[in-house]
Amino acid sequence: MLEVRGLVKHLGGKPVVNGVDLTCRAGEVIGLLGPNGAGKTTTLRMCYGFLRPEAGSIRIAGHDLATDGDRARRALGVCTQDDTFDTDFTVRGNLEQTARYYRPKIENLAARIDALLAQFGLEEYADQKPDRLSGGFKRRLMIARSVVHGPQVVFLDEPTTGLDPQARMAVWELVARLRAEGMAVVLTTHYMDEAERLSDRLVLLQDGKVRASGTTRVLLGDVVGEHVVILAHAAPEAGSAADWLRARGDPLTAVLSDWHVALDAAGLAAFVAAFPGLRYEVRPPNLDDLFLALEREGRR
Amino acid sequence: MSAVRRIFGPALAWQSRAVLARHLRVHLRNWHTAVIPPLAEPLVMLLAFGVGLGSQIGNLVWGGAPADYLPYLAPGILAYTVFMTAFFQSIFSAYMRMHYQKSWEGQLTTQVRLEHVVWAEMLWAATLATFYAVVVCLVLAGFGVAGVLQLHWTWLPLAIPLLFLAAVAFASVGLFFTAILPSMDHMGLPFFLVILPIGFTSSTYFPLPALPWLETLVLANPLHHLAEGLRWLLLRGTPTTHLAYAAALSAVMLLLLVPIDLRLLRKRVFGDA
Repeated sequence: MLEVRGLVKHLGGKPVVNGVDLTCRAGEVIGLLGPNGAGKTTTLRMCYGFLRPEAGSIRIAGHDLATDGDRARRALGVCTQDDTFDTDFTVRGNLEQTARYYRPKIENLAARIDALLAQFGLEEYADQKPDRLSGGFKRRLMIARSVVHGPQVVFLDEPTTGLDPQARMAVWELVARLRAEGMAVVLTTHYMDEAERLSDRLVLLQDGKVRASGTTRVLLGDVVGEHVVILAHAAPEAGSAADWLRARGDPLTAVLSDWHVALDAAGLAAFVAAFPGLRYEVRPPNLDDLFLALEREGRR
Repeated sequence: MSAVRRIFGPALAWQSRAVLARHLRVHLRNWHTAVIPPLAEPLVMLLAFGVGLGSQIGNLVWGGAPADYLPYLAPGILAYTVFMTAFFQSIFSAYMRMHYQKSWEGQLTTQVRLEHVVWAEMLWAATLATFYAVVVCLVLAGFGVAGVLQLHWTWLPLAIPLLFLAAVAFASVGLFFTAILPSMDHMGLPFFLVILPIGFTSSTYFPLPALPWLETLVLANPLHHLAEGLRWLLLRGTPTTHLAYAAALSAVMLLLLVPIDLRLLRKRVFGDA
């Protein structure tokens, strides 16, 4: 459905995206992750057709965005991070107006819009202006608008940023439905739980390149490690434990009053044996650890 | 030829028409309030300047013969209305849609591309400017019916296509400023530094003084040729080269400015040169 090969883009003379490959199949959700400045937004904006890649290709549902742009865009749905609905129209009017920007025209448009209003829980707001909706319903409208023409590939750029937990979960439900309908969904988010829950596969960008990709567990294991030990600064023997870890070459990250350190199974076993009386917490790595690990790599 | 097609081709694309229809749809919902300014402004100007000030001025010399001020003013108001409306729409309204409403970005996530959005803005500004000009024509006709204004009325409908072309060209200048203005706070600068000076040195409201440098400068001013061309047409019933100059200058402006506007707006909207 989505096939991106070797994207390259410089902005302001600096390489921002440098050879990114990306694929997303029908009925798959991929999470595009990376710290600020990793090249996520620039990659997405090239996929929308906002920016022209200097090298590489983007194929959407088999259509090359550069040479067959109209067909590629017909198969593409975009929900931007900012609300960009048309404030001169009602909720229903926004869906109708967006539909007018596509050819071939959408068949049975009125029925399609009624179905979307029902599916996205927007029926009772259909005749209201969108700027009067709550944040969660604005997002619903943005997502509904991005799929009004029945695209095959949908980009959702931070679809739940700024929403309360209930509204976030409602958006998660909608994303799950898009996947169930067979759409290829590319999602960016800063919420780690969201990326883990929604994505079948994660693609991690760093310095404009794909650093790693795979399922959440594989990606965390590859980049972070198998276990994360959390050690309070104030714990007895914490200082000597930290020195022991540093001497092994395990990087410690200070998080408030704790140190976090990622260890493999052998490292954890050695640590347990070396400090039998020390109190600490061990948990599986999460995406916060991933970002911290990347930041550490970037500093080196 | 391919360059001309590249510049003007998107104007005729279905995407441009879809965005243009959007602007029309929004405008028609408020047509009753939207029609008041174009109706009131020329009425006030013709009454205040044409009838009021004109009676103080008496006759002025134009085209080598005496002329009353009211008929002198009427074609000038027509040209000025098109000029100001096209500028205002393409600077203020387009900036609002681009920057605050973000409706451009919403359109650009569909099959609509930037060249369609830009052409739709220019065509909409020109459509509205031409509609306002038609309203001015009706006001002038009302003065004619009242017996206070005599013009060669049959030429009036024939001037409309030229007014539309000039309005598209003026809108391309407006979009240039839309592309480069850093913020809404700077919106007054093009009006006071560029638009008003052009507006008042274009033979719209009064004959230009016989200054050699000014006479040379206005040769490149399409508004001057539009106002003078309409004046010869409506006062004397004579088509002159002013009309051809106005059309040619408008075409040249479009050929030069549309690619520049697109390049600047691409950088502004997408951050890409």
